[in-house]
Amino acid sequence: MEQRWGNTWRPTINEKQFIEEALRSEIRVDGRRLYDYRRLTIKFGREDGSSEVQLGETHVMGYVTGQLVQPYRDRSNEGTLAIFTEFSPMADPSFEPGRPGESAIELGRVVDRGLRESRAVDMESLCVVAGKSVWAIRVDLHIIDNGGNLIDAANIAALAALSTFRRPECSVGGGDSQEIIVHDPEERDPIALTIHHFPIAVTFAFFSEGNTLVIDPTYKEEAVMGGRMTVTMNSNGEVCAIQKAGSDGILSSDVVRCLRIASLKAAEMTTKIKEAVETYNAEVALKKVKRHPLLVAQKITVPDVAMKEASFEKMKNSDGDMESSPNQASTSRTNADASVGRPKIWDPYSTSAPSISSSQLPGTVGTSNELNEDQIMQTDEESKPDLRNDQISGATGVSSAIHQQNSPPKSLKDAVKPKNKRKKNAERSAR
Amino acid sequence: MGKMEEDRIDGRNANQLRPLACSRNLLHRAHGSARWSQGNTIVLAAVYGPKSGTKKGENPEKASFEVIWKPKTGQIGKQERECEIILKRTLQSICLLNVHPNTTTSIIVQVVGDDGSLLPCAINASCAALVDAGIPMKNLAVAISCGLMEKGSVILDLTKSEEEKLKAFAYLVFPNSPLTVIPKVPLSKEQPIEQGIITSVTHGAMPVSGYFDCLDRGVAACAAISEFLRRSLQKQSPEDTSRAAQ
Repeated sequence: MEQRWGNTWRPTINEKQFIEEALRSEIRVDGRRLYDYRRLTIKFGREDGSSEVQLGETHVMGYVTGQLVQPYRDRSNEGTLAIFTEFSPMADPSFEPGRPGESAIELGRVVDRGLRESRAVDMESLCVVAGKSVWAIRVDLHIIDNGGNLIDAANIAALAALSTFRRPECSVGGGDSQEIIVHDPEERDPIALTIHHFPIAVTFAFFSEGNTLVIDPTYKEEAVMGGRMTVTMNSNGEVCAIQKAGSDGILSSDVVRCLRIASLKAAEMTTKIKEAVETYNAEVALKKVKRHPLLVAQKITVPDVAMKEASFEKMKNSDGDMESSPNQASTSRTNADASVGRPKIWDPYSTSAPSISSSQLPGTVGTSNELNEDQIMQTDEESKPDLRNDQISGATGVSSAIHQQNSPPKSLKDAVKPKNKRKKNAERSAR
Repeated sequence: MGKMEEDRIDGRNANQLRPLACSRNLLHRAHGSARWSQGNTIVLAAVYGPKSGTKKGENPEKASFEVIWKPKTGQIGKQERECEIILKRTLQSICLLNVHPNTTTSIIVQVVGDDGSLLPCAINASCAALVDAGIPMKNLAVAISCGLMEKGSVILDLTKSEEEKLKAFAYLVFPNSPLTVIPKVPLSKEQPIEQGIITSVTHGAMPVSGYFDCLDRGVAACAAISEFLRRSLQKQSPEDTSRAAQ
């Protein structure tokens, strides 16, 4: 379609010359050095096995799902891993919906080779009943924003998602032990995948006939580069895949140099990913722990064993009130309807309400305690909505959590006060 | 409202919405982008501004829209196509089509999380993305899902489990309430602003009175959501440079 072609971004001659000139003095347009990566952010979604990776301006989302299928006949005791890449049209005006283009297929293949063929994920542990039923793991990579270097970002997204994916535990039961029972995640904890090593893709871009070599090109540099090579290595120094398809030739000495640089970068990236995964796992574990206080009746000052000791002490000292409410969801327009036996919710009407998800650790709880007890939010907004505050206005009957401050805290507190029978009302009014 | 005996699974009241969150200007290449979440239902929408030419079969004297719906996993099937059509018609009715004739504006919707009320969430996200891209519009569209319980009571903002269990529910889209210049005139709650309903998608059989109940509740809820939408769109002030030139 002509309209798509006309809408593809093309670099101007000025931009091309500027980029090449800068590279000759070993600077890049965004101020990085030649072998520096852009800023990497790894975030995880609410479910297991979903990750969001941002590498500079490039944004990739990864989702991992699993299904029980029949195995291939020649690999009857191994599970399968399949990687699907979606170049979403929102990433780039030149991406078209429908059939994947060349670069989409190439990306899928490189990530696939790095992950599957290097046996990074253990396939034999995915077998449930040999020859009958194995787990088929499917990784969907959605490219949301094309800022350049999609292969590296997609690879990291796939690894992050696979590290946090949990498959339900299943056992073989039934009369003749042929029936497979898949256990509910609530009954038995789901199991993580076994990942032997982390293959990290490092993309190099060549300029001016191979004289200059950079890592992690932006989309402007990609439009101007002479050629590209992707090296997938793990932190053990093993090369999992090398992809160099056509364009400018490079000397073998340069290839060796690339491998050396790639092994350093792979080690760095592996630590970053592992750290992000561990932080996420710790948060998940904390969330599980905090479920218990909800089931306990809203007795004040009951030393709840599930809560961290330190934070509990601080809260006790502050006002003697101990109502941990995982949900700070509701705001504004509270009205006279008394809560019908549901746990009371902390009203986060203070000014810095949005800093929620970081305040799970007792350290931050402790520091925020000094400011205002309303800022003690035990969980983030992703926690179960069953703790939502039911104090809502009658007429429109709508209560929505707004993630920005929309009214001065004082007025809302005044509105809320008469309803609550909390002890700290006395404190607040005294202030 | 205190008369509602039946509790919903997540403990909400009949009229209570899940926490809303809206953020704009997330993507660097897209001309406009927005992310809208209602509880665990999260949708990311991106807009690429008017491109020249219209597709075959579209009226070249008006601007046309193209909606691409991307589910989280799996192939695109009939349901996704249906959502694309509904979204396209809804957005076509709120945008000014005569400003840029013979152009195509693409809206890409990516489902990030699905916990019920997916279509309303997508409509809200697309609306915010269109605002972010600067596409000329008559008014904004605000969407809500209403479910009808057995005893005839209406609940708002359904989760996936509620949608599966209820006999009938509806997705309703209303134009957003206009901003009154008259300061602080207390709107009497008995007269919601009558501007008509843009889109209504119902599932299951419901009595006529039940449908009208849903409409009433929907209008009231949308007034609140449009307040939230307006506030969140105003928050991020427009210092961002235009990306259409890149």
